[in-house]
Amino acid sequence: MAVDLPLDEKARRMRELLSSFYSQNQATSNGAIKSASLDAIDSPSFDADQFMDLLIKKSNLEGLLQRHVEMAAEIKNLDTDLQMLVYENYNKFISATETIKRMNNNIAGMETNMEQLLEKIMSVQSKSDGVNTSLFERREHIEKLNRTRNLLRKVQFIYDLPARLAKCIKSEAYADAVRFYIGAMPIFEAYGESSFQDCKKESEQAMAIVTRNLQAKLSLDSEPVEARAEAAVLLKQLNYPVDDLKSRILEEKLEHLLLALQHEAKEPEPAPMSSDVPPVVGMGSVSPDPHSNKAFYEFAKTVRAYRVIFPDSERRPIELARNLFLKRFETIQKHIEKKISSVDLLAMLRLIWNDVLIMDEVLPEAALPSFASEAASVAINQYVSRAFSYLLSQVSDALTGVNSKQKGGSEGENLLQIALESGKKVVTQGSMDLLLELRQLMDDDLVLVARLKDLYIDWVQEGLQGFFRALDDYFLMLSGKSNPASQGAGSIDGIPVDKVLPGLILVLVQLSVFIEQNAIPRITEEIAASFSGGGARGYEDGPPFVPAEVCRIFRSAGEKFLHVYISMKTKKISVLLKKRFTTPNWVKHKEPREVHMFVDLLLQELEAVRAEVKQVLPHGVVRKHHRSDSTGSTNSSRSNPIRDDKMGRSNTQRARSQLLESHLAKLFKQKMEIFTKVEYTQESVVSTIVKLCLKSFQEFVRLQTFNRSGFQQVQLDSQFLRIPLKEIVEDEAAIDFLLDEVLVAGAERCLDPIPLESAILDKLIQAKLARS
Amino acid sequence: MQGGSTGVGYGLKYQARCITDIKADRVHTSFLAGTLSLKEENEVHLIQLSPSGTELNCEGLFYHPHEIWHLADCPFNPRIFSTVYASGGTYGAALWEIPELYNQSNAPQLEQLVSLDAHNGKIKCIIWWPLGMHDKVIGIDEENLVVWSLDTSAKSAKVHSQESVDMPHYFSGGAWDPHDQNSLATTCESAIQCWDLRTMKKTISIEHANVRSADYNPNKQHLVVTAEDESGLRIWDFRMPKVPVREISGHAHWTWSVQHNPKYDELILSAGTDSAVNLWLASSNNGEGPTSESLLEPPTRHIDPLIHSYNDYEDSVYGLAWSSKDPSVFASISYDGRVVVESVKPHIPKR
Repeated sequence: MAVDLPLDEKARRMRELLSSFYSQNQATSNGAIKSASLDAIDSPSFDADQFMDLLIKKSNLEGLLQRHVEMAAEIKNLDTDLQMLVYENYNKFISATETIKRMNNNIAGMETNMEQLLEKIMSVQSKSDGVNTSLFERREHIEKLNRTRNLLRKVQFIYDLPARLAKCIKSEAYADAVRFYIGAMPIFEAYGESSFQDCKKESEQAMAIVTRNLQAKLSLDSEPVEARAEAAVLLKQLNYPVDDLKSRILEEKLEHLLLALQHEAKEPEPAPMSSDVPPVVGMGSVSPDPHSNKAFYEFAKTVRAYRVIFPDSERRPIELARNLFLKRFETIQKHIEKKISSVDLLAMLRLIWNDVLIMDEVLPEAALPSFASEAASVAINQYVSRAFSYLLSQVSDALTGVNSKQKGGSEGENLLQIALESGKKVVTQGSMDLLLELRQLMDDDLVLVARLKDLYIDWVQEGLQGFFRALDDYFLMLSGKSNPASQGAGSIDGIPVDKVLPGLILVLVQLSVFIEQNAIPRITEEIAASFSGGGARGYEDGPPFVPAEVCRIFRSAGEKFLHVYISMKTKKISVLLKKRFTTPNWVKHKEPREVHMFVDLLLQELEAVRAEVKQVLPHGVVRKHHRSDSTGSTNSSRSNPIRDDKMGRSNTQRARSQLLESHLAKLFKQKMEIFTKVEYTQESVVSTIVKLCLKSFQEFVRLQTFNRSGFQQVQLDSQFLRIPLKEIVEDEAAIDFLLDEVLVAGAERCLDPIPLESAILDKLIQAKLARS
Repeated sequence: MQGGSTGVGYGLKYQARCITDIKADRVHTSFLAGTLSLKEENEVHLIQLSPSGTELNCEGLFYHPHEIWHLADCPFNPRIFSTVYASGGTYGAALWEIPELYNQSNAPQLEQLVSLDAHNGKIKCIIWWPLGMHDKVIGIDEENLVVWSLDTSAKSAKVHSQESVDMPHYFSGGAWDPHDQNSLATTCESAIQCWDLRTMKKTISIEHANVRSADYNPNKQHLVVTAEDESGLRIWDFRMPKVPVREISGHAHWTWSVQHNPKYDELILSAGTDSAVNLWLASSNNGEGPTSESLLEPPTRHIDPLIHSYNDYEDSVYGLAWSSKDPSVFASISYDGRVVVESVKPHIPKR
């Protein structure tokens, strides 16, 4: 009936209907009435009356009618569906009944067949049992025989083993031998003590030969590596302690190599000597020693072989190789301690680097190049610092030489000069040589060094800076003026202030000036030329070598030392003057009879200064009474007439007018600048010292009160000083001025300032001159 | 550093060595200066800085019987001062009172309060306790240290105690510790010594030659600055007497006198025979912590402690006095009798 419907739609509908029928039991059948909008119509709790009430209330007549029509159609639809369901079910039921009926017929025929089959199987079984029992005995026998035969064969094998092994040994088929032996091993283990004793012994002997041969083969370099590797494997199979063997092989080689290397290490010993000769020749002395080189190749080869032979153990050769290079760098460092030339260092580094490369091929895991460059950087760093400290010690040698020699009292006029010259030479020549050497190291194309170039430049610059700092400290120490900080610690300042030699300080002065003006510019040039760049560690503080700073350090050091020298000298003279002026009672002084002897001491002291200064400091530009020279200034025009007056006029009246005049002159004169900046020249230093002394002279005079004779004594002494002092000091005007000041001071502090008559003055001076 | 002639000048008639601030005068910035003339009649000038700071006025001129080698004011009475004088080779010391000035009665005689005549050597100085009322003064001559008990109203002075120096040394001067009335520092030819005035015994002795002048730091106890002939200034801490805390180069010739500013103690003034007065900024920070300087050694080392050099003088400068009324002002006197008052205002460190 539903054929005209599309098949799948029909099927779907059928399924739906069926499922709703079976799953929701009867409840759904009540809700056959379907409403268009209200869901409640399908629910089990649907109340038809209520629905009707709602409908009637809600809809008008037309709506109700329409609803009625719709409902009627729906009911009809449901009705057909139900009919269809019933029909379908019925159909299925009929076919099922038919099938059951057919099955029933078939089974009834089968039962008899089965019974027949069972019978037959039973008979087959009984027959087979019969056969089996009849064959059993024989089979057992055969099995036994078979077993015996196997056993016999094995026994035969074992008995044959020694012979076989011998044969294998003869043909060097060690692999077979090992295999056989290992096969026989369990038997030997089980019965070795009893039945197969002889056999076991014999085969063990044979195996011993085999092992020995294998061992020999393993350690024999001439054998191909594969064969050796095989031997190693075989030995391992034989439970032979291979590890021992490994290390023995390597260590043997290593020892051999180390011996060779030691030999080589001794080799550069004469090199420093030969490198004093032009360094170009130096290469010859350290050219790779063929002996050690060969040894190293062999070591490398061994390691390579080792790696093939024992592929599973890596640690040992790496360790060994590292140790080896560590040792070699240690020897280099030892050499550095002893000071070697950069050429030698380079040669050594090159040698090592070559070896490192060789090893690296063999043993890439050991990361030897980086290891080596680390070690090399340490070594080079050490080399640089060592070089600078050596330079420092050279300088100190040059300087302390003076100290000890002068203490020894050997009469060397030019000791200071010598010290200065050698000091200068060491500083410039030494540092230039050093830089040259260091440069050689850098210019080399050796990878090891090239890699470190930036770092190296930094080190050199740092080293240089450090060197000059240390030099400054050292100078300070020599001058006894070390920092209060270190003084507090009481560390190095071994030289107490009073024991410092003034001459040495003078040398330091000149050396500082020299360093500032000559050495530093030259070194800076050299640095700029060959060690620029660098900055591997970033440039927060600029390049490590700061020439300006070093210059500043030494400029101030030079000034400081100059002042130290001057103050040492003036202090000495001050003591002299003080003694002179504080001891006598000037108010009760007796008439002057002769020039006082302190004048001699004073001149002697000044002469000593001049001698010292002459050795060390350069001549300045000779200039006298220049207006530009502040010491001269207006004074030269002033003091001379006064002096002429003094010389020319006579007696008491002169004194009065002179005093007046000097007062007047004082009113009009410009300030006499006696305290000018000290220059680094003989004249400047000497005249500064003389001027300071005369000023002290004046001050001491001002502190006293004189009677006439006392004043005359002062007059006499200062008059006598005039001529020799002018010989010492270039600036005559200053001497005149200062001595006049002394005289004025004396007159001011005198109760009765009547100077000596010039005739007497001259006579006394002449007498003094005649005596000396 | 050329000293411009910023100072206010005042001329004495004769040569002079000493000047002092009158600490007891709380109203004016006033100084006393005394002349040093062998043959003429010596004078003591009472000088006042005008309130504008541009003029020095002579408020009084008094004749003094002998040449004055040392002059010190009484810290508690502006009218009293002490002098050390010499005549012919003999020395004397006396306390004087400035007479009331009735109008323009110029050059009256000073009234001698007390003559301190227990001294027999060359008297070096009379020292008052710097901070005010104290009934003692100390006189130092070459060989002795004398503590005088003073009664200004009764016009009498008695030797309270006395101690002699070891023979080879001669006292050259001294300074009274403002922090401790019982402590006195003296300088002599070869040492700086510290005395306990109760026992009159040396407590500290620093072997150090040729000290000319010493001055206690007014704000920090135990610190003393000294001046010497050749080696300039040194700052000492008496708790660590071995090494000076600080060394300053000083003057081109002798450094004659040195004084701390009464308020800004790191300002130090020194006068020298190179005709200059130097103003130094020298913090002695080692006094508080010995580490601070040594750590910062290199940078601080190169800072020149010299702030200013006043070198507009014709002759050696021997006298120096900060004003306690206005600590930014000091007076100096050079040998030619010229008093110069300068202001250091532009150099006072900011804090």
